[in-house]
Amino acid sequence: MWFKWAGAVLIVLATSLWGNQQAAKMRRRVRQLEEFRLALRLLMAEIGYTATPLPRALEYVQGCLGDERVKQFFAEIVLQLGRPEVGDASQAWLRAVEVCRGQLSLRADDWPLIIRAAAGLGGLGRESQLKQLEAAESQLAGHTARVAENCVRSERMWRYLGVLGGAALVIVLL
Amino acid sequence: MAKMEWKNQILPILPARLQNIFATLSGQAAEELEEIRLRSGKAIMICTHRGESFVGLDGVTGNFSEAVIVTAAELQAVLLTVAEYSLYARDEELRRGYLALPGGHRAGFAGRVVLEENRVKLLRDISGISLRIAREVKGAGEALLPQLFCTRQQRVYHTLLVSAPQAGKTTMLRDLARLFSDGDQVKGRFGLKVGIVDERSELAGCYLGVPQLDVGMRSDVLDGCPKAEGMMMLVRSMSPQLLVTDELGRPEDARAVEEAVNSGASILATVHGHCLGDLMKRPSLAYLLRQTLFERIVFLSRRKGPGTIEEIYNGETVKSRLVAEEMGHVV
Repeated sequence: MWFKWAGAVLIVLATSLWGNQQAAKMRRRVRQLEEFRLALRLLMAEIGYTATPLPRALEYVQGCLGDERVKQFFAEIVLQLGRPEVGDASQAWLRAVEVCRGQLSLRADDWPLIIRAAAGLGGLGRESQLKQLEAAESQLAGHTARVAENCVRSERMWRYLGVLGGAALVIVLL
Repeated sequence: MAKMEWKNQILPILPARLQNIFATLSGQAAEELEEIRLRSGKAIMICTHRGESFVGLDGVTGNFSEAVIVTAAELQAVLLTVAEYSLYARDEELRRGYLALPGGHRAGFAGRVVLEENRVKLLRDISGISLRIAREVKGAGEALLPQLFCTRQQRVYHTLLVSAPQAGKTTMLRDLARLFSDGDQVKGRFGLKVGIVDERSELAGCYLGVPQLDVGMRSDVLDGCPKAEGMMMLVRSMSPQLLVTDELGRPEDARAVEEAVNSGASILATVHGHCLGDLMKRPSLAYLLRQTLFERIVFLSRRKGPGTIEEIYNGETVKSRLVAEEMGHVV
């Protein structure tokens, strides 16, 4: 009999863990979107105030970030910029998206906003460059706010779903 | 700077195909290289003081049909690499038509100009690039230096170096700045605090604000700064004993020179021109010459190679010649 109960506890634990993982993934997504917003703001400051060239500006931005995966994304752009086959900074950014897409917790509807920041990168004058990045950052800010709002609801839902799903499975099996 | 040092600094900015071509360039042409000319859809040309040549896959050639043709995409790639993929970071320089390169070299650009309120806003559709190789000739100014230095007062005479383009003015100016800045204890010449206003990053060859060429141990450089403003800034902030600047010409430059002279700093400057008559056609320079602000006016040429000293005038002599000429005109 105690085998059955031990199995039931294990099932509930496993589904709760899965539910928590999904919730954590949601939180990570929001955190990474916030990190991208911070990165764009830092990049704007580097361009607007000190007119630092992109390779150094991106390295600086990378150093200021907390999330390892987002840091990795900016490191990848710098790496791509050093490759002879990469024609400009937009191309380097898009290549970094390709390389890092699988490593970040972002979802398909997040990437178009990250990609938008690459438009004209490095190929514009200072004012136009800032306007372009500002536009990308404000779109990302709106999107991040919506995702964060959803996250609060979904996080709870995933947790309950984990526990209750496990419990339902146990009932069915018993 | 070693004769072939340019390869380490210029090759990385070229696209792969051009890199391979210039990497194999050797011999006299590579050692004496002054300029690389890249024009969209046209043959690569190089210039030395001996003249121009084409560059083919096997090196220098006199035959146009063997020359390598440059593409517009390659020019665009050079521009982006030089600007470190960040046109916004160099847009002020680009507006003036050139970008400073590591090693003190310079890239000049030609293309379609976009105007905004009658001012150059940007340069697009790049059609030509001129890569000018900086050649530091240490000792170029040694022959001239005793004529420009007053040993008794331990100061440099206010001096104007005059020559046609590419006759060695900037090289001479740079070396004089170095010599005055370093001083020479053996000859009883103390080092002077030298302030350099390098509007076009040509004199000290600054890259990221650091001089790439030797301008002396006591030199402070204001890079990319308009001459008139820069001279005043240095006078106020760095108390230079000698102010060095390249290519005077605008009315505000003349006013700044006058101010700087009154502040007690010596002036060492250059100007384009072949003869005194050329200078007199420019009102601001004519004004300075009439005021005898310059105590030495030195004419340079390429007659025996760049930096050949043709004539050295005393400021008073120039003034009296000018007065005589004017009287002649009156009569």
